[in-house]
This record gives sequence, C-alpha cells and structure tokens, in this order.
Amino acid sequence: MIDIQFLILSLFATIVGWFAIFFVPDKIKGNITFGFVMITAILTSIPAMHALVAEEIEVAFSGISLTGNIPVRIDSLSAWFILIINFTSITGVIYGIGYMKQYSNQKSNLTIHWIQYLLFHSSMLWVCMVQNSIVFLIVWELMSLSSLMLVIFDHQNNKTLKAGLNYLVQMHIGVALLSVAFIWVYSSTGSLDFNAIAQFFQTHSNSWLFLIFFIGFGIKAGFIPFHSWLPHAHPAAPSHISGVMSGVIVKVGIYGILRMMTFLRSDFIIIGESILALSVLTGLFGIINSAVHRDFKKMLAYCTIENIGIVGIGMGLGLIGLGNGNNILIVLGFGGALLHTLNHSLFKSLLFFSAGSVYQQTHTRDMEKLGGLIHKMPQTAFIFLIGALAIGGLPPFNGFVSEFILYKGMLEGISSSNIYHVILIIVSFAGLAIIGGLSLLVFTKSFGTIFLGNQRTELHSVPAEVSFSMRMPQYIIIGIMLLIGIFPSFFFKYASQAVLNSFAGIESFDIITLNPFLNNLSLVGIYAAGFLILILAIYVTRSYLIKKNATQISSTWGCGYVAPKVSMQYTGKSYSKSLGKILGFVVSEKKKYEEIETIEIFPQGRKHSSYYVDFFENKMIGKITNRLQYFMNLFQFVQNGSLQMYIIYGLFFIAIVFLGTLFNII
Amino acid sequence: MISFGLIILVSFFFTGIVIRTKSIASGRKGPGIFQPIKDIIRLFKKGAVYSETTSFIFQIAPGIYFASVVMAIMVIPFGQYKGIISFEGDFVFFAYVLALGKFFNIISALDTGSSFEGMGASREALYSMLAEPAFFLLMGSLALLTGHTSFHEIFMTFHFGSYISYALGVMATFVLVMICMIENSRMPVDDPKTHLELTMIHEVMILDNSGFDLGLILHATNLKFAMYGALIANLYFGVLPLYYSIPIFLVIQSLFAVAVGLLESFSARYRMSHNAQFIFTLSSVSLLIFFGVLMILGKLV
Repeated sequence: MIDIQFLILSLFATIVGWFAIFFVPDKIKGNITFGFVMITAILTSIPAMHALVAEEIEVAFSGISLTGNIPVRIDSLSAWFILIINFTSITGVIYGIGYMKQYSNQKSNLTIHWIQYLLFHSSMLWVCMVQNSIVFLIVWELMSLSSLMLVIFDHQNNKTLKAGLNYLVQMHIGVALLSVAFIWVYSSTGSLDFNAIAQFFQTHSNSWLFLIFFIGFGIKAGFIPFHSWLPHAHPAAPSHISGVMSGVIVKVGIYGILRMMTFLRSDFIIIGESILALSVLTGLFGIINSAVHRDFKKMLAYCTIENIGIVGIGMGLGLIGLGNGNNILIVLGFGGALLHTLNHSLFKSLLFFSAGSVYQQTHTRDMEKLGGLIHKMPQTAFIFLIGALAIGGLPPFNGFVSEFILYKGMLEGISSSNIYHVILIIVSFAGLAIIGGLSLLVFTKSFGTIFLGNQRTELHSVPAEVSFSMRMPQYIIIGIMLLIGIFPSFFFKYASQAVLNSFAGIESFDIITLNPFLNNLSLVGIYAAGFLILILAIYVTRSYLIKKNATQISSTWGCGYVAPKVSMQYTGKSYSKSLGKILGFVVSEKKKYEEIETIEIFPQGRKHSSYYVDFFENKMIGKITNRLQYFMNLFQFVQNGSLQMYIIYGLFFIAIVFLGTLFNII
Repeated sequence: MISFGLIILVSFFFTGIVIRTKSIASGRKGPGIFQPIKDIIRLFKKGAVYSETTSFIFQIAPGIYFASVVMAIMVIPFGQYKGIISFEGDFVFFAYVLALGKFFNIISALDTGSSFEGMGASREALYSMLAEPAFFLLMGSLALLTGHTSFHEIFMTFHFGSYISYALGVMATFVLVMICMIENSRMPVDDPKTHLELTMIHEVMILDNSGFDLGLILHATNLKFAMYGALIANLYFGVLPLYYSIPIFLVIQSLFAVAVGLLESFSARYRMSHNAQFIFTLSSVSLLIFFGVLMILGKLV
C-alpha cells in the first residue's frame, strides 16, 4: 500500500514543483527542476522496482462519472518503461541545466521550459501506469503538448515553429486514431478499463482493432511511413529535449504497442509477420536516410527510426513465437525488444547530448562545416565515439547484447516448420546484418566528419570543452552501457521476467528453461570484457615496444602533392555519395542551381546546392497534403480581409441560429 | 587452442606463398615465403612518422584492429576441437568483433584529414557493409541445416552426403573465399599492387601509418587470410583425428594461398563502380545455399 502513497506523493511533487519553479530566482530554476525531477523519479521508481521484482501493483481511484473507476496498474512491463523514463529524464535535466545556460537571457521562456519539463516527465510516467481509456488519452495528450512546448523553445525561429506544427498535427492524427480504437472497444464492451480490450480481443477479430492501435502508437514510435515528424522535430528541439524525446518519448509509443500486444488473443501470426516485415523495412529506411544527411541531429533522428525498426523486429519475432507456441522465441523476441529499448534510450540520449555539446560550441548542425573538433573538445569526441560504437552494436557495449539476443531469436525462429516463416526470418536476419553494416558507415562518417581531420570552415568562436555538469551525466550513461555490455544476463533476466509476467498463455513457461541461454549470454559479457582487456594489453605492449623507436611529427602524406589545403579533405557528403547513388531509389537527391544562360555575358557568382528528400514524406504524405491544400485554397475567398464581409458572415450566422431555433432544427 | 596456434603459424607464410605464386606466374623467382613476416618484424623495430593532424584515435586504432582480428581467431574451431571461445551464436560475435576493428581502421584513416584516405575509408565501409549479408545468410543457412548456432557445432555436424551437400560445400567455399578477398581488399575488388591512390581501398587507408603500427596492420591482414582459410578448411574436416586434420589444414591453407596468387596473376581488378554490384551478388550465392538447405531438409517440396 505504501507504493500507492509514493505515487500520489509524486503527483504532489510535480504540482509543487511548478509553483516552486515559478517563484524561485532565475539562476536556480534549472537546479530546482532537477530536484523535483529527482523526487518524482525516486517516488515512482520505488513502486516500479517492487513491481519488477515482486508482484504487480494495482489500485483503482474513483473518478468522476465520465471516466468511472480509474485503475492504475504497474506490472513489470510498465515498471521497465518507468525506470527507463526516470533515468533518461534525470540525465536529461542535468545536461539541460548546462545546455540552457546559453539562453539565460530568455527568462520567461526558460520558466515555461522547466515547468513543461516537469509536466512532460510525470505525464510520461502516468501514461505507463493509467489503464483507463479516457484518462489515458488525457495524459497522453498532456505528454504530447508538453513535449511540443519543449520542442518549440526556440520559437522565434520559423523552422522550429514549422517543425513544431508538424509534430502537433501528426501527434493529433495519432490521438484521433487512438480515440477511435478506444471508442470501438467501449461501444462493444461498455468498459473503459484496459482489461476490456482483452475481452474485446477474445470475442472479435484481432487484426483490425490492433491495426488502428498500431498506427496510433506507431506515429509516436516512428515506424515508417509514420515517421516523418522525427527528422523535423529532433533537430528543432534543444539538445537535451532531443535526447529525452528520442530516448524515451518514442519508447512510450513502443510501450503502447507492447501493451496492446499483451491483450491480443488471436491472429498472432499475421500481425507478427507484418510487424517483422515492416520493422526490417523501417530499420533499413532509417539507416539509409541517416547515411546521407549532413545535419547531424537529423542524422541521429533517422537513426532513431532505424532503432525502432530493430525493436520492432524483436516484437514481430515474439508474436510469431506466440502464434507458434515457441516459448523461447517469445522471450528472446520480446525480451530483446525490451532490452534494446533500454539500450537505445541510453546511447541515443548520449549521442544527442554530445551532439548538443558540439552545437553549443559551434552553433551549427551542419557536419560539413566542422572537423578536427577532437583537438578542441577531446572528451565530447570520446563520448560521441563510445555512443557511436554502442549504437553500431559493436562489442563490448550494450548495443551488441540486444542485437545478439535478436540474432539468437531469429536463429531460434528459423527452425520453424512453416516455410514462409523460415524465409521471412532469414531475410530479416540478412536485413539486420545490413543495418549493422550501414550503421558502421553512418557513424564512421559522422564521427570522422565532425571530430577528425582538420577544421573545415572558420567558426564564429573557438570551440572549447563543455562544462563538467554537461559531461557528468554522459559519463554516467557510458558506465551503465558498459555494465549492460559486460553483465548482460543480469539485465536480460529482468526483461524476460517482464515478458513472462505480461503475456498471457506462457505462464506455464518456467524461467529455469531459460538458464542455458542466460549462461550463454553471460559468456558473451565475459568475452566482451576479455576483448577490452586484450585491447588494453596490446596497447600497453605497443607503448612499451615503441618507446625506444624514434618518432617524428610531420604533415599528412599528400601523395606527392605539397600544398594540400583544408578544403581538399574528404567530405562527409562524398563519403556517403556512392551509397546514395546505389540506393538512389530510396534517397533521392535534389539539386538546386541556375544554369548559365548563353546570353549572360558577365555571369555572376551563383550557388549550387544538393539535398536529399525523404521518400515517404515526398511521395506519399506530400502528395496528400498538397491535394488537401489545393482543396482548402478553393475556400480562400472566405478569408478576404475586408471587415464588411466579416460583418456579413456574422449576420448570416445570427440568422442561421435564429431560423434554426425558430424551426426547432438545433 | 589448436586452431589458434595453427592460424598464427600459417599467418607467417600465407602471404609469402601468395607473393611467391605471383612471382612464378610472372616468370620471376620471387622472395622466400617468410619474407613478409621478416618485413613486419623489421617494421616493428622502425620509428614512425605521425601526421600533425592526427589525434589519439590514430594511436589506438592499429592496436584495436589487431586485437579484433586476434579475438576473432579465438572463435575459430579446429574440427572437433573447440576454439578458445565457443558459445551459441559465436559467429555473430565473430562478425561484430571484426566490425569493431574495421570501425577503428576507418576512423584512423579519416583522422589524417587526407582526401585519399577518406576515399579508401568510404569504399571500405561500403564494401564491407555489402558483404555482411552474404556471411550472415551463409551462417544462417548452415545453422538451419545443422540445428546448431556455434561455429564448432555447425562444422561438427555438417556432413557431405547428398549431391546437394557437395554443391553447398562448393558454394560455401566460394562465398568464404570471396568474403576473404573483400575483407582483405584483394584482387577482384582491389589491387594491392596498384600505384594509383585513387583506385586503392585498403592500401590508401594506411598511407600515413608507419613503423610499429604499419607492422601491426600488415600482420593483421596476414592473420585474417589464415583465419578465413581456417574457416574454409573447417568445412571439410568433420571429426577427423588430428594426424589427418593438421596436414589437411596446412594443405588447404597452401592451396588457398596459391589460388589467391593465381587469381591475382591472371585477372584484372573490376571497375570501382561495379564493385558494389559484384559484392552484393555474393548474397545471391548465399541465398542459393539457403535454398539448397531447404531442399535438403525437405521443406521446399
């Protein structure tokens, strides 16, 4: 029962926090926010820990007549996500305090920012706990709106506002779909409790309702073709917000999908196959796009889409396991998905934070303008490098562990008797391998272009290492990533426990059957650590052996050319150009330039620019919105700016209301 | 442990055999087969020149590259004898450890800020990405066929029986040889003896490495050759006792080296722009293997 009091206290903490932030002096607003985020996090983490190791917590608050009872449940699935949200929000706020120092003159803007941050944090937490449709939608909406406010911090900038509007509209298409789905359930079962969804699935066809839920949550999560808000919103937001959004808010979408999956009662196979296929495509699409973009925050946003694909591969495998009754596959699939959710929230927030440090020092997001930053910001470079290794799934870091589990899951699923599953899974197997290979290309490109070589352009100010308060949370994240990389079975045990508790139908499965796999996984951790030791040993031997050799510092070998210039360096664009050419049908390149006319006797200087467009945004969503805009423009004459016309509209309106009431129409 | 020792041993003379074969094919006598390792030992004693543009990445990268290859070799079994490291799914670990080495190799090339080295790095990243699915499809198919997921168990249970299995063996050998050539940037994809930086891949990436670091990188290449040779040899051992398998291993490695030498003597490098297509077709050979496996298991018909 004490857990419930903690939860209620956490709500009070948030509300008190708003007032506190409002009234305290400007200088310590960030620190106060950190304090309240910390309090909320502790108060909600304790019940979550209990739910993860012991039994689930359930309480029903009595609501108003509209909502009925409001059940609040924390099972191990919710607990897993609550802990992820809390950790990333804490590191985000610590980093944010340092990051927002550059905006310290925008006092009122900052106050709103921090208040929204608190609201954002606790609304995400309550999304994972509340299980009443109406209240869920309200909290969901609070989360979307507060994150919108956080994204458009820099609202004087047109591009930021545009990205914010895009985000707002897409989130509401999602909410609309979710509302439809919940109303459908309500109209056939008469209950707003989430358990009614399970009832609904027991008696009705599963695919269609799940499809609506999937699209509704999938817009948040960023599955293709619903991903197009991500590459706009992430670059627009301040970096700690991008980190938290990419780290956890898309994961809340994953939570929604997983939650709905726990209610599924039939049609596992078809849903599983579709999600698996869509996820592989999402992963490939995300990583191919992130290879070609030169805005490094956009690159990271596309990379988030890729990782959502990897999480989706796990979910698809788990569903196929549910359909085939293969318990090991269920645990490896869903467990791998959960672990990758945690891993991605760690390394993606890390990458966004370090990218934010670069942005703070250089005021540009264009990697082609940077270069050689490793000499000016060695620690940020190191942090970005670790993030890049981890996200590429390279041992000894955590990304390898979850990808390894998914590969193992696929090898488990490949022995299925169904030939279509065998083919689908082997193709996904190769797909995941390509994703891995491509992410190596993406992150060697971005690390190389931003941090290595020579500085490409003159910057306004000389970049320097960021403050300790900004680096500290990043080192904490690195520590946890290494822990997962070296002791993977400890973390996976909890993930698989969460899977076992959440999915009906595999209660008969004994966790002991998983022990050989857990042992295998701990071997992976041990060998990863061994690899680190080997690297260290070779480095030490090398340092010892080359001590007596003469070393000399000279300029880079120019292959015989003696006057190399900085602009001759290989650029990031050319690095990924050959890939972009091969995959031109996915990432089409557009060029903007003016040809020189023959009549131009004295040609002026001109610009040539090329950029890549998103396939879905350009070919699908763009087409629809263009039509819509064309249709809407037909009514443009209504808004003609003349006051007389507006007064006539008013008169019309009054007349309609009058006549309507007169004839009892309204 | 046996495989580790033997691979190290073979790595000392593998490239020597390749060079010797090429010399004889072009009508020269050529150096002894231990010349490459002698060169490497000489490099270990030499001083080094570092570019002023480089950072700590350039210092640690060769070691990490070398360590990744050593780590990958530990995974390779020897017939019925396990490698030093063996667990279920170890071939995934094998591929990803090698990828880590490649990551550092690439960023150390970018660290120099040279236009040529970036070009090589870009190609290396692209080609190794394209070769990845071929390896995973091959190993996935073998895992499906044998029902095991570690190198050791897969090779233990892989038997030649039907005609299809011989075809599988030939195709698997082809895929592994080609992956080896791509990973080591050898002939059909890259010509190590070319003298134009614009057309090089691996060689151009290590232009700025010298002394001890260059020795490490060169020896890592030798080790990689022997490692892939050992993988191919493992396809054919089964559960033979040591007094047969060790000579067979040495013979297969030498044959592999001679084949590489002959290939490099009598064929020309592909056009750089066609390399990507060529490498990706390897995946289709792997897919053929996959369908062969399905046929053996009776799942197709």
